[in-house]
This record gives sequence, C-alpha cells and structure tokens, in this order.
Amino acid sequence: MPRIEFDNVSKRYTPTTHAVKNLTFAIENGSFLCVLGPSGCGKSSTLRMLAGLESITEGEIRVDGKRYNELKAQSRDFAMVFENYALYPHLDVYGNLAMPLATRRLPRREIARRVGEIAETLQITEHLRKRPRQLSGGQRQRVGLGRAIIRDTRTFLMDEPLGHMEAYLRQQLRTEIRRLHEELGATTFYITHDQEEAAAISDQIVVMSDGRLQQAGDLLTLLDNPVNKFVAEFIGNLPISIIPAAVASNFGVPELIVGGARMPLPENRASLIESSISSGGSKLEVGVRPGDIELFEDSAPNRLPLSVTVVEPLGDSAVVVADGPAGRLRATVPADTAPPPGKSVHAEFDPSRLLLFDEAGINIFRTA
Amino acid sequence: MTSDSKPISQFNLRAALALGAACVVVGFSLFPLYIMITTALKAESDIFSWPPTWTFSPTLQAFKNAFLLFGGQNVLVFLFNSVLITAASTALAVGLGSMAAYALARFPFRGSKHLAFFILSTRFAPPVAFIVPIYLMFRSVGLIDTHLALILFYTSMNLSFVIWVLRGFFADIPIELEEAALVDGYTRWQVFLRVALPLVRPGLVATAILSAVFAWNEFLLANIITQRDAATIPVYLSGFSASMGIAWGEYMAVGFFAVAPIMIFTFFLQRHLVRGLTFGAVR
Repeated sequence: MPRIEFDNVSKRYTPTTHAVKNLTFAIENGSFLCVLGPSGCGKSSTLRMLAGLESITEGEIRVDGKRYNELKAQSRDFAMVFENYALYPHLDVYGNLAMPLATRRLPRREIARRVGEIAETLQITEHLRKRPRQLSGGQRQRVGLGRAIIRDTRTFLMDEPLGHMEAYLRQQLRTEIRRLHEELGATTFYITHDQEEAAAISDQIVVMSDGRLQQAGDLLTLLDNPVNKFVAEFIGNLPISIIPAAVASNFGVPELIVGGARMPLPENRASLIESSISSGGSKLEVGVRPGDIELFEDSAPNRLPLSVTVVEPLGDSAVVVADGPAGRLRATVPADTAPPPGKSVHAEFDPSRLLLFDEAGINIFRTA
Repeated sequence: MTSDSKPISQFNLRAALALGAACVVVGFSLFPLYIMITTALKAESDIFSWPPTWTFSPTLQAFKNAFLLFGGQNVLVFLFNSVLITAASTALAVGLGSMAAYALARFPFRGSKHLAFFILSTRFAPPVAFIVPIYLMFRSVGLIDTHLALILFYTSMNLSFVIWVLRGFFADIPIELEEAALVDGYTRWQVFLRVALPLVRPGLVATAILSAVFAWNEFLLANIITQRDAATIPVYLSGFSASMGIAWGEYMAVGFFAVAPIMIFTFFLQRHLVRGLTFGAVR
C-alpha cells in the first residue's frame, strides 16, 4: 500500500488567498488518516490536490517517493467518495458500480461478477436496477463506497462521505467504512469536521485550521496535549473552559492565580512555566476540561467561587455551567449531585491536567 | 348531501372549463393543418365552393399532379435536398456546438467570457444584412447551388445559439459527477461522452429541434444561392406559386410534405425534453 507525503504544499486560488499553507505530513502505508477541521480550513483543497483535481501552487505531493504534482487525475489510481455522493443519475446502481470497470476493457462477465460481489458486501443487491434518485441517502453512499472499492484501488480519498446523513446512519456507515479498511488495508485519506467520527474511524488525526496543519496525533494526544488554543477548543465533545490567569511566585515556586484562587502546580508544570515565561507580565489563559473540575460547597484558597447558571443533564452525568467574575466554566458532575441553578459553588481544578496558553495561544504545558 | 356535492361539482366545472380551453387552443392550432390536408384532398371545384363544403369526396388527383406531373421536375428531389441539408447542418451544429459549449463551461480561461459574447454577437445582425457578402463569398469559392453551401450557412447560423443554450446545461451538471469519472480513470474526452453528454440530453434535443426547424424553414438564402441542384422545399414552394398561378390543391399537397417531416421529427424528440434528469444526482 502506498505511502503519501505532503511536502511543504501550498495552494493559492488568487495571489493573495491562501487556501493551504506549507502543509507537511505523511500518511503511512495502509493507514487511515483523518483530516479534521472546521469548514473553510483548507481540508477539501488538500484532498483535491492529492486527487489531482486541483493544481498545486507550491511544494510537492509524493506517493511512494514519486512526485505526483503533474500526474493527471485519471492516472493516479485513487478512488474517491464524495460528500454529495456524485452518482451518475442517468445510470442505475449497476451502471454506477460498473463505471470504473468499464474504462478498463474488462469482459462483461467479469464486470457482472465484480458488481455482484460488491453489491453483496454493501447489501445493495436488491437495488441494482434502481436509479440513484430512488435511493435513500444511506443507500446512495453505499453505492458511492461500492464504486470506490470495486476497482481494487490501493488508496481511498473520502471527502466528508457521511456529512449529509442522519446521526444513526452515520454511525452505521462509519463502522462499515472502518470494516472495509480492515479488510482491504488500503491507505485512506478521510476528511471530516466531526471529531467523534474522526476518532472512531481513523488511526491518526490531522487537525487543520486556516489552511495550516495545527497538530497531528490520536484523539488522546489532541485532548490532553493540544499544541494551541485552537486545537484545545476544537477538540473535545464538551467545550473546554478558558479563563484569564496569571503567574505568581510563592517563595520562588510559581503558582497560578485564577480569579483570586491560588493554584499550586505539580513540579513538572512549574518548571515548564519557569522555562517559558521570562517576562512574567504576559497575558495568560488557563484551559480546563469539564471532567477535570470538581465542585465544592465550601470555599478554599485554591478554589474559584462561582454561581451556577444552567445545568444540562446528559443522562448519567450533567454539565454545570457556572459563572464568576473570572468568566464561565463548564464542569461535568454525576447527575445526582448537580447543584441547582443560582447556587454558589467553589471549583477546584485538577492541577496535573491544566492547560496554559500564552499570548499567542501556544500551550505552555504541552509535554509531548 | 348537498354540502358534499357542491365542492365536487365546482371542481368538475373547473376541470371542464380547463379542458374546454385546451380544446379551443388545440383546435385553433390544428385548424390550418386541417385546411391544408382537406384542400389537398379536394377536387378543384370543391376548393372554391362557397359556403365551404365540409363533406366532399376525397381525391388524390392533387397529390398525383404534384408528385408525378408537375413542372417536369420531381418534388422528391427538393424534399431530399431539404432532408439532407437539415440533417447535416443540425448534426454539425449540435455536435460542434456541444463540444464548444462544454469547453466554455468547464475550462474558463482569460477572456473566455468575451469569447462567449463574441459567439453570441454573430446573431446580432439580421441575416438580410449579410446575404450579399455571403453570396459573393460562396460564388468566389464555387459553392453556389451546392448542398455544402447551405449546410455550412445553417450550421454557422445555429452554432452560436446551440453553444449558448448548451453552455448553461453543462454548467448545471454538478462538477463532482465529472470529477468522480476522472478519478475513476476516464479521460476528459470519455467524461464528455459518457457523463456530460447523457446528462444534457434535454438540451441536445431542444437545440436539435430548433436548429432543424430553422434549417428546414429557411428561405431567404436558399432562394438566392440555390437554383436547381440544391434547392430546398421552401424554394420549390415559392417557385411553384409564381410560375403556375396558384394551383391550390397541388400547393397544399406539397405543403403537407413540407410540414410532415419536421413535425414527425419534433414529435419523436419532444418526449426527451423533460427536465429534471439531473435531479437526485447529488444529495
């Protein structure tokens, strides 16, 4: 299976609008890579450059070490799945599945055999004689997947294939896609804006924003060790709380001051502060995930006083949204211990899991 | 009971009115055709009888005269000329036009909008304005009274129209359909033939019908640059009335054959005119 490299790739549609800036990363042979990012972050441009549908302004895309920049789309031997399915409306399902084979001069019988096989795998055999418009969204994307895998390609490009589907269908089909990946072992480049989907389906996640690669890694790395504020805010099902903070010295040992609360830090974090913050006067923000906050009734020097605004039940647990002079916090607590709105609480952060962002939004506490 | 029946009878009344109106429109449109066919089938004495006779004993004399005896020259030659010139110019206009339209829709380049406008601008002047230069050009290359002259002229007249209509149709195809085929290993040419063309079928049919009707009916240039070898049906019809006085029965008999082919052509193609074929392609 091929290894795909992006080497300092940039895309400009006009001289001044950068869609993609200096992108460098690699997809290892046979691995499943997800590009995750908000809309307009350049992830689609990245995929289209790889597919050969868009020219590359600068840099180089290599597949197994070979330069692909000038290779035409039809010679790249990729298979692509589109967000809007892109099924041929003038052909029935059989015709759609057979299209990629028809250009390969295979005998009719061989085509029929392959189509039958693929339809079987994707459970669309009963729909072979239907037109795309007679199918539901989920069925259409099954046909789209079938059209991609029928060719025995070694690389799949998927551009938000589940974007238009309802939640339960998305879950069903993403399992299907992952199963196909386990079975075929093809190198897969998958685009999504849904982090849960990215985490569930891929081996590696690349987070993009504003045309730049922010961070690559698995979901746990991105959650616990985000490179910057953008990744910290973008990743995580429940939003991270970010509030202003300052650093103070307690007999030479740095402490965090958050809204009047003094929070001592573990030794490794304290030393990171010493090495990164020289001036001491820079604007800092602390980031804390809902699961790393504990709420108490009693006050303490290291606890932040807040008043509960809203409680959002999630079943077993609840999200408590609480406001204080320093800002807004979200904390998850067991559902039966959730304080009612209006009540004052005192929040204590888990100091070993705090994130600290400097003025440029870089996470000072990043360890990896 | 009365409260039930009232809305139903209202509905029926509305349907009846609509049907009646439709009948009037259809009758109005078909009446000339009816007059043409009956006149062709009437004997000379019946044609001019007043009040008009609605019942008469039909005769094929006018058809016989028109096709076998008249003027020493067989009308079938003119009919053949018309069919050949119309078919060839329509095929050329739609064939070349679809390629040009696809290129304009899919490969924008510096000044492609200006080029498209230039193509349209060839239709700005009325044909009469350039009849003389066209005549002189055809004469200097020895194309007077040839099929090729009319085929070229009709093709060029229809081309700009075909390009403009089809450009819109091609631009409406979701680009992903073509990209899917490209990634699947199809060349641009194969994408054009196997994906783009089938999807603009309604546009192809519409432009083919209008091109054919134009070529079939065109009289001005045909009358000027053709005399015998390449003259078309409209030319024949005009010469007919001038030289003989007007023999109405024969005139209508030939007229019937002048109208029938284009009607049949349109009749068989119009069912492909349905839009919305691309519905369900994406989303």
